[in-house]
Amino acid sequence: MEQEQYSGQIVAGTIRSILYPRSIAVLGVRSSPQQVGYNIFESIIYGGFAGDVYPVHPRLKTVLDRKVYPSLAEIPGQVDLAVIALNEKATISALEECEKKGIRHAVCVAGGYREIGGEGEGLEKTLQEVATRTNVSFIGPNTLGFINNEIDLNATFYPMILPKGKVSFISQSGGLGLTFLHRAADAGLGINKWIGAGNRSNFSFSDYLSFLGADEGTGAIGLFLEGAEDARSMVYRAAQIKKPVVVYKAGRSEEIDRSTFTHTGSMSGSYRVYRDIFSQFNIQVADSVMELVAVLKALSLSPLPAGGNVGLMTHTAGPGIVAADLLFSRGHRIPDLTAKTLESLHQLAGKNPPVVLRNPLDVAGMGFRADIYRQYLELLATDPNVDLVLAIYCQHKNWRFPTAEIIEVKEKVKKPFVVCYSSPGSYLEKERPLLEGRGIPLFNTPEEAAWAASALIDRFSRLQRSQRGPGHEL
Amino acid sequence: MNCESLIKSYKQEGRLVIPEKEAKEILELAGIPTLRPYVVKSVEEAVATARRIKFPVALKLSSPRFLHKSEAGGVDLNLAGEKEVAASFGRLSAMISPNDRLDNIVIQKMAPPGIELILGVFRDAHFGPVIMLGLGGIFAEVIKDVTYRLIPIQQQQARDMIRSLQCRLLLEGFRGADPVDQQAIIEAILKVSQLVSKNQDLKELDINPLVAYRQGVLALDARLVLH
Repeated sequence: MEQEQYSGQIVAGTIRSILYPRSIAVLGVRSSPQQVGYNIFESIIYGGFAGDVYPVHPRLKTVLDRKVYPSLAEIPGQVDLAVIALNEKATISALEECEKKGIRHAVCVAGGYREIGGEGEGLEKTLQEVATRTNVSFIGPNTLGFINNEIDLNATFYPMILPKGKVSFISQSGGLGLTFLHRAADAGLGINKWIGAGNRSNFSFSDYLSFLGADEGTGAIGLFLEGAEDARSMVYRAAQIKKPVVVYKAGRSEEIDRSTFTHTGSMSGSYRVYRDIFSQFNIQVADSVMELVAVLKALSLSPLPAGGNVGLMTHTAGPGIVAADLLFSRGHRIPDLTAKTLESLHQLAGKNPPVVLRNPLDVAGMGFRADIYRQYLELLATDPNVDLVLAIYCQHKNWRFPTAEIIEVKEKVKKPFVVCYSSPGSYLEKERPLLEGRGIPLFNTPEEAAWAASALIDRFSRLQRSQRGPGHEL
Repeated sequence: MNCESLIKSYKQEGRLVIPEKEAKEILELAGIPTLRPYVVKSVEEAVATARRIKFPVALKLSSPRFLHKSEAGGVDLNLAGEKEVAASFGRLSAMISPNDRLDNIVIQKMAPPGIELILGVFRDAHFGPVIMLGLGGIFAEVIKDVTYRLIPIQQQQARDMIRSLQCRLLLEGFRGADPVDQQAIIEAILKVSQLVSKNQDLKELDINPLVAYRQGVLALDARLVLH
């Protein structure tokens, strides 16, 4: 295992060099916005990358008002990274040009390799051989590229601006990886790094995990996966990483292996096997893009609870029931409150309150006003049986969000909070930085809030278990 | 004779499919308790053995050609007397290939009722050796209450396997029934994990059912596949 860790460090260093170039050459730049080569170049410029960017094309003179170089050789000064937007065959020859220019890092965008089978498999082997010979390490092939949001570098052919933060993502699929980013942008989830792993010709999932595990800017890691022949080393590597790793695995229909003899063999189903093994190695799992984003947001922002008990507060029953259902289905607890808390609640509510005072706490109409919402919230949050608070509130034109109140209560009781504001997204733009700036993840559906709460509790449980050691009797 | 040398000898002979009797020998060597089958070569031997080990008994095929013996009609359970044993032997002997030393009729005691589990191992294309625990018997394939882990597996992870089954309430004692011996299940899981870790030639292993009791577990049927 030590040998693996050491080589993991070397690989992490190489990937780091790819993601932190000081200067970039874009091979295969084009003049039309309808072309991938144009869009990669525009992405890099549009994103605000501060280093030198050199477009390369044999005949074009300028693109986006920048001088185009006819070849790598003619670029003055050093080039750290080549982003190669040529076809699958020209990409291989381009590696030779990279070697001559002293470029050791590249992104190979083109598809048409192993993923198409047939000749593509042979072509990918050639790509690997040439890359080894020319000493070029590369991300891909068959990839959108990568994003290093820390240095405003979008080296994909999808120009976009993303909120900055601590969540990094590795994707086996470009399209799903994009969906994740779009959802993240809507949810205000801050992105640190995004890597389109492509065919993983050079770097495996384990390698990217090693890099992100050591990367200072990354606080939580998401991974989208369809299947990996090196799944064993991937889970071992993920288990070594202290940061939370959350996986969304697609490809769920059971593949019955007809070559097996035994019942055991015939019952092996790829999704269930993956899911159970993930739990064996403390890797958390998401079942949708929405859940993946919600869980990563919570894990990157919020402190962990000291136990698994949830205090749930709402002023309308439905969303509370939805959240409670989801929590129960995951095996979490919404415990009774102490006699002391119940007494205080009764005192607050007065004689014959129009609500049932318990946990989950639905204060109905009493909760519309922020100051009164706060009073009930504080009693619930202070209860010693409560480790984590999930608070629900609905947007209203005249009754304002109890954002300041929630923050005050949280800082007083020092427990993690997860907030659901039922609201059109636009109204959350103002509240989100206030809450999330104080470590309180904000969502606008009860499902996402419940997924987030569940993930925080799971992370707490897993850390507890791994601290105790594998042999410990629980 | 230990597991490794026994498995290697089968491999050298080109015997890759190991039926019940031989599979149970390997499991016993690995420290997993099994209900011992006795090979019987004649109706007289079958009856004499049944009398010796006491009725009721089961008569079964132990054959690489009939790994799924229930479906093949290769099992007769709850044989209460000599006439039934003789009739069963007659029926099963028509299915036996006399020239294969791994093709046998075996007789074993009927085990007392317990909770039937399935415990097995296969080599996953992505993960390598994977161990599986679940609700066993004939319901296994329909209900699919099973859980998987990577081999090698540790004690706490083996405990988690039991906890993650949907039928765990049954194992903890339901409607007045005794809880089963979870520690014995865990030990069986660990022994299987060790067996596979030490034997790269082992491709698949299937113990179905592994019956769990208030004390101990017992493998009632088993099969191995080498590669």
